[in-house]
Amino acid sequence: MYLGVFTWNIRTGYVDTLASHTGLELTRWVLTPGRWVWTRLSSFWERYVYFVGVRQENETLREDLARANEELVGAREQASLAKRLTDLLLIAPPPQWTREASRVIAHRLGPNAALETFVIDKGRRSDVDVNTPVVAPEGVVGRVLRASMNAATVLMVTDPNSKIPVVSQKSRTQGILVGRGSGQPMMLQYVSLSAQVEPGEILVTTGLEGIFPQGLPLATVTNVNREGASLFLNVSAQALFDPKRLEEVALLKKAPPPKPEEEEALPDTSTKRPKGAADRKGEVKKRGRNEPPEARPQESTPKKKRGEGQ
Amino acid sequence: MTGRRAAFWTVFTLAGMWLQSFLPGVDFLAPGLILSLQEEKLRTTVILGVIWLFIQEGTGSLAFGTVVLWYALLVGLFFFGHWLFEARNFLFMMILGACLGVLHFGLMDVMTQLQDWRAAPGRVLVESIVQAVVFPVEWGLIYIIHNHLPQNGQNI
Repeated sequence: MYLGVFTWNIRTGYVDTLASHTGLELTRWVLTPGRWVWTRLSSFWERYVYFVGVRQENETLREDLARANEELVGAREQASLAKRLTDLLLIAPPPQWTREASRVIAHRLGPNAALETFVIDKGRRSDVDVNTPVVAPEGVVGRVLRASMNAATVLMVTDPNSKIPVVSQKSRTQGILVGRGSGQPMMLQYVSLSAQVEPGEILVTTGLEGIFPQGLPLATVTNVNREGASLFLNVSAQALFDPKRLEEVALLKKAPPPKPEEEEALPDTSTKRPKGAADRKGEVKKRGRNEPPEARPQESTPKKKRGEGQ
Repeated sequence: MTGRRAAFWTVFTLAGMWLQSFLPGVDFLAPGLILSLQEEKLRTTVILGVIWLFIQEGTGSLAFGTVVLWYALLVGLFFFGHWLFEARNFLFMMILGACLGVLHFGLMDVMTQLQDWRAAPGRVLVESIVQAVVFPVEWGLIYIIHNHLPQNGQNI
């Protein structure tokens, strides 16, 4: 019976959705205010407790120092935040894509967190859906694995289950970039022996998997060598972002389709589809999950197995 | 359940969720399930178990079902060990913690393979060891706190 329910859920995703909308949502509301309390406590520690020894020597000097330190800590934090947010704002979304900033509220959580993931504070209410691309100022970070109303779990590109088609910027060598876990270099698979790829080249997305926009930087080639009688080159790469320093990320979402009046203004040169044709399952599958929700018929969208698409 | 006990379990749940964000891969709510089985009515345990189940499943990255097995096996192990050991014995909790460690490694292996996914075995092994150590220590701590609640006048 368990296997039956498990398999049914794998195919439909109903119970996963229920778990996301309850457990993940509750965790988001617990962790987010906690972050604020933690920041206040850290600030309190910096201001008062750390300078107990100084107070014993000179009360006036201690107060001055504490005040100066408080201002300095605050200024540094503000400067750091401003720099990070500026970097995020400098991410130029590809044409027909929009960018939305989001805060990282936790990394892997609980005994069920088998994959390299983190949790962000944006969810379906912000039009975040499964497979929404997630980027940092340095490059691609990952994609949304599951989402609740106000939170989402992001699968990082460094996870062994992340496989992304990429091309090197200089030599235009194509391959599949596969993660190997936290702290491990990534592997560029299926690179032919004759490829001219060199260490230091930037790998960018090709967009062939239908999830990421084309041309986003993802990793740097660190090592290229041959191994035994293999038909392919052994290419290692390093992700451009540091998972341990991620605090804010940007979500890339497809821009909404043009309004009906704009469409009507354009000359209609195409053959019109029969009414209701877009509701057919085959067409919905072809469009994929990256279409904005407005363009997707909600009632007929088939449930997709988590992780599908990469 | 009295107000103080409800407050205890609420604080325990919130603290457990927070601790889980500091130590990924470790279940800080599992010792509460055992303590609830020992100290609370079955209905309370079921309610707490369902809440924790959805928290763990919702925040995890595998398909729904892993934590169902995880908690079901934990409860099964508890009732099985209950026949052999005194249920509130710390040694029993250490054995239960060791079993949980092995269970974490095995379950992660089986469930990731079932979904055709991969998890780094080295990292899961470290998590299993931490789980085995954390479980009895946390159980001992919450057992003492629970028995010091004003309306629980038990000798510990």
